[in-house]
Amino acid sequence: MAKKEELSRRDLLKAGGSVAVAAAATGLMPAETEAAKGNPRYAMVIDLRRCIGCRGCTVACKSENGSALGRFNAVVKNVEFGDYPDTQKHFLPRLCNHCAGEADKGVPPCVEKCPENARGKRMKLGKERYRTGATYKRPDGMILYDMQYCIGCYKCIEACPYGVRSIDPFVKLKREDREKDLGIAKCTFCDHRVDKGVTPSCVNTCQGGARIFGDLNDPGSEVSKLNKEFNLEKKRESTTLLPGEKTMPHVFYIDPHKILARYKIEKETKEKEFMDVFE
Amino acid sequence: MSSLSRRNFMKLGMAGGALLAAGEGLKGSALAGSMKLQMGGRDFSPETGSERKAIPTACWSCVTRCAAMGFVEDGRLVKMESNPASIRTEGKMCSKGQSGINDVYFPDRILYPMKRAGERGEGKWKRISWDDALTELSGRMKKLRDDGHPEKFMFHYGRMKASSSKLIKSVFLKGYGTKTIGGHTSICEGGKWTAHELTWGGHYDNWDFDKTDFVLNFGSNVFETHTNHIPTSHRLIRAMVERGVRLVTFDVRLSNTAAKSNEWVPIKPGTDCAVILAMCNVVLNKGLYKGKGEAFMKFVKATENHNASVADKIAALKKHCANYTPAWASRISGVSASKIESLAVEFGKAKTACLVSYRGTAAHYNGNEAERACKMLASLTGNIDNPGGRCKAVGAGWKYPHLPKSSKAPVTKGLNVTNGHPDKGHPQHSAFPSHGMCQSVLKMIKSGHAGRPEIYMWYCYNPVYVNGENDENREIMKTIPYLVTSNIVYDESSKLADLILPDATYLERYDWEDMVDPNQIGEHYIRQALVKPLGESEDLGDTCIKLAERMGFPLGVKSKKEFVQKSCDTTPGVKEAGGFAYMQKHGVWHPPDKKPYYYRYKNVIPASATKKDGVIYDEVTGVYWNWKKSKAKSEAEAKKKGYSHTGNAAKAYVGQKIGDTVYEVFKPDKIPKSGYLELYSMLMKEKGFNPLPTWMEAPEHKTMGPDDLIMTTYKVAVHIHSRSAHRKWASEIYHDNPGWINTKTAAARGISDGDRIKVKSRISEIVTTARVTEKIVPGIIAISYHVGREESGRYGSGKKSPMGHDNDPDLKNMWWNTHGQHPNFIIPNTPDPVNGQQAWMDTVVTVTKA
Repeated sequence: MAKKEELSRRDLLKAGGSVAVAAAATGLMPAETEAAKGNPRYAMVIDLRRCIGCRGCTVACKSENGSALGRFNAVVKNVEFGDYPDTQKHFLPRLCNHCAGEADKGVPPCVEKCPENARGKRMKLGKERYRTGATYKRPDGMILYDMQYCIGCYKCIEACPYGVRSIDPFVKLKREDREKDLGIAKCTFCDHRVDKGVTPSCVNTCQGGARIFGDLNDPGSEVSKLNKEFNLEKKRESTTLLPGEKTMPHVFYIDPHKILARYKIEKETKEKEFMDVFE
Repeated sequence: MSSLSRRNFMKLGMAGGALLAAGEGLKGSALAGSMKLQMGGRDFSPETGSERKAIPTACWSCVTRCAAMGFVEDGRLVKMESNPASIRTEGKMCSKGQSGINDVYFPDRILYPMKRAGERGEGKWKRISWDDALTELSGRMKKLRDDGHPEKFMFHYGRMKASSSKLIKSVFLKGYGTKTIGGHTSICEGGKWTAHELTWGGHYDNWDFDKTDFVLNFGSNVFETHTNHIPTSHRLIRAMVERGVRLVTFDVRLSNTAAKSNEWVPIKPGTDCAVILAMCNVVLNKGLYKGKGEAFMKFVKATENHNASVADKIAALKKHCANYTPAWASRISGVSASKIESLAVEFGKAKTACLVSYRGTAAHYNGNEAERACKMLASLTGNIDNPGGRCKAVGAGWKYPHLPKSSKAPVTKGLNVTNGHPDKGHPQHSAFPSHGMCQSVLKMIKSGHAGRPEIYMWYCYNPVYVNGENDENREIMKTIPYLVTSNIVYDESSKLADLILPDATYLERYDWEDMVDPNQIGEHYIRQALVKPLGESEDLGDTCIKLAERMGFPLGVKSKKEFVQKSCDTTPGVKEAGGFAYMQKHGVWHPPDKKPYYYRYKNVIPASATKKDGVIYDEVTGVYWNWKKSKAKSEAEAKKKGYSHTGNAAKAYVGQKIGDTVYEVFKPDKIPKSGYLELYSMLMKEKGFNPLPTWMEAPEHKTMGPDDLIMTTYKVAVHIHSRSAHRKWASEIYHDNPGWINTKTAAARGISDGDRIKVKSRISEIVTTARVTEKIVPGIIAISYHVGREESGRYGSGKKSPMGHDNDPDLKNMWWNTHGQHPNFIIPNTPDPVNGQQAWMDTVVTVTKA
């Protein structure tokens, strides 16, 4: 860990004065650690101006992954306020934030708390070596999981402040030392599609083009352009969910109506909140 | 713990030293900036990583019928996406398209022919063979046909379009000889179409969001449910974000569309017409018609005299609209006069402006007039059939195999039960039911004065539930001698049937499709089977081919697939591109060099066309028409009756004389209007209505007491009107439909959020839950349709269908146990008196704590 921290500090300095100033001002460390290493750094930008609340993403995701009833990897939440006739209703698409984690830790809370986070295969992505586990971070920033290593302790569910992880009734754990019978699931950024060169399922279907996926390390990518235009990384307090948790999400919001500030995720109800149901 | 894990790790057989690459796509190309992701068209298994088989097809969830792509894994359909090559969808799909897979695999699906084995509605069924089913049905049908009474076989459909309609209606039912064919359009948006036929001829308007500068929306939930949903909605949000186009929505409720609009203008139900008329008043009085509006008025009929000058027309409209002031409309609608005025000015001054209207405006007693008023506002500002305006829709034209001459019906007859009551003054009468009167069919059958069918067959339709007055529908249905349906879902109507045929889902069949293209070009596309029909299910088109064969009038094709194949191989353009083989591979085709179609009305008809044999000039209307194409027996009869009063005259239309030139202008469709865009309708005048668009208040609303509320209905983004409750992914998101009621309205009745409430109309009452909200105008209650199902399987109603099975592993994960309350029980079947449209949004109710 210490080595990684050193690395990131060096990278941060490399990345230029403005980032450092912004980071100092916010107290948050931009996840620039991999910038110079050549791997992509995947992120999703959600342009709230473009979301019309159609739930195409919700159902496309269920279909793509065969998610069980009661489980969602992608949802849209209605955020409503104001008195008639000035009532407002806004739409907030949500998914796993694929957090980079605090700079000194290098991984988000779900990976940190997973006792089996490095029990898997030794892998290489670009020039970077890493190891998979029950839940782990890939060098391109994707937070992934592999249920063959999961023991069913559900610490990752508890650790995720966003409530995006849940028990998957379709995944039966087989390890002898398992604590519970069922595995967990969450959004994978559709790594199975992205690795083959196709956008995530929710991005594919989104009629407003509200979900934009790409590589923040590629200055020519749409997400990089939006990052630059809207200062998404520099203004994490207003462009990501629960900035106080310092998880460094890689899902950013273009949020002209300041909806994120009104949207609450409570610890007790975080999992229930991550369901897509409306009346 | 740690050692345990390590041991397990070893057990699992992982080669500790091996270095594996993550994902083949990244091999050697993982460097930042080197990856360009493709938007769609391919899909992979998250389990195995193997590529899923992609097959182009078309959606059938809603009437938009988007070109789509189905992905199949190990013989099972697992994913729907849009077809990235479609110029209509541009690769986008909504949640309804995505959940279509559930149609195939829901556990309560009808998979075998079923014969009633108990009392009607008792739910006792016996599985029979297809041979027995066809023998029984064709035997009964053949007897009626042989007896010279094919009209006693009634066919009533909810959705049949393109090839499914052509094969069943134009080939099979034509060969059989029945004209007792009902549609469902009047309980959908038929009234809007009639208003189009009265004004600009052919129905359907396309909203040109790609080119517009301002969108004024009356009662369309375009972002959730429109009839051309994906093609229009994704273009509208793009126009708003990328070009700053303003959207203003009038709605009684904060729909998703209203919520995303730059302005939501709450309005009292059924008063859009008053506001639109007042906007016309503003445009006229402020001279905002000058310029393109004035130029367009050349092609508009606004007075009785078809030779009137533009100045005369403007003067006549000014006079007509003089009393429709913003202050007047404000008193009626609750919208402030200043808001009406400022929006009228914004609309009038916009370079191009698009006027949108839909069921919120049309499904009222006065819907016809509201839609005609829309035409007036769009005409006065020159926003008709222009880039960025309200355009004449362009779809794809197909050729298809016709009924062989040898199979011609010996007798062709129809029962007059599909167009409401013929007597003026009768509650089920309307003047121009050009799209039928679906909601009065059962009442007409009950009255019996126009005869009764012996066999009533319905398809893609649920007569008990989708019309108003559900209890009465059920009782009337039970009196019909023989009931048969082809269906995928055991619903409230199939429950009453004598014979149920297991229909194939749209994902298991073939069609060619033609829905409107927002590019004004037209896109040809097909639907093809993604998987083999489950169980013994079969496309009704194929069943009709077999029935015809058994009855001795073969349809000339052996399968629906062959029908579609021949259509592809003979339709100009598609044929040259490679016909059926090309369409199977690509799914879509459009003429590559065709320019978008605008200003069709300016086309000049060559003099030669007016000099052809049979073409005569009608002095009353200024129309050239070919009497030989009408029902007139001689030229003398044609001249005596005149263009407007001769049968089939609309089809005989040649052109409209304006000044010294003959123009194509706005060709009539079902109604023999002149070629002008008719704001002034002689035909309406003859039926006793004001010839110009006029304010009409629903009679029920005139006598409302202080405690009365108006009940409206609506649709939500994830459901199809009444054909999706069985889809688990739709009902998981939306399965309850509490009545939305404004906080103040609720407080006045002592109602709190979540209370059980009784909603009572003049015909019946329901008990439901109150959702007290700030998202709705005071004085109303709004209840959506979709749910509140008595049947439709476990995901839709909580009830297992008699033919349901338990092999869906998700059944045990179903977590909701509320299924809503259907509002139609208390909605009377009442038509718009002009066009027969069901007045869904006018029901007067009282709401009290239950």
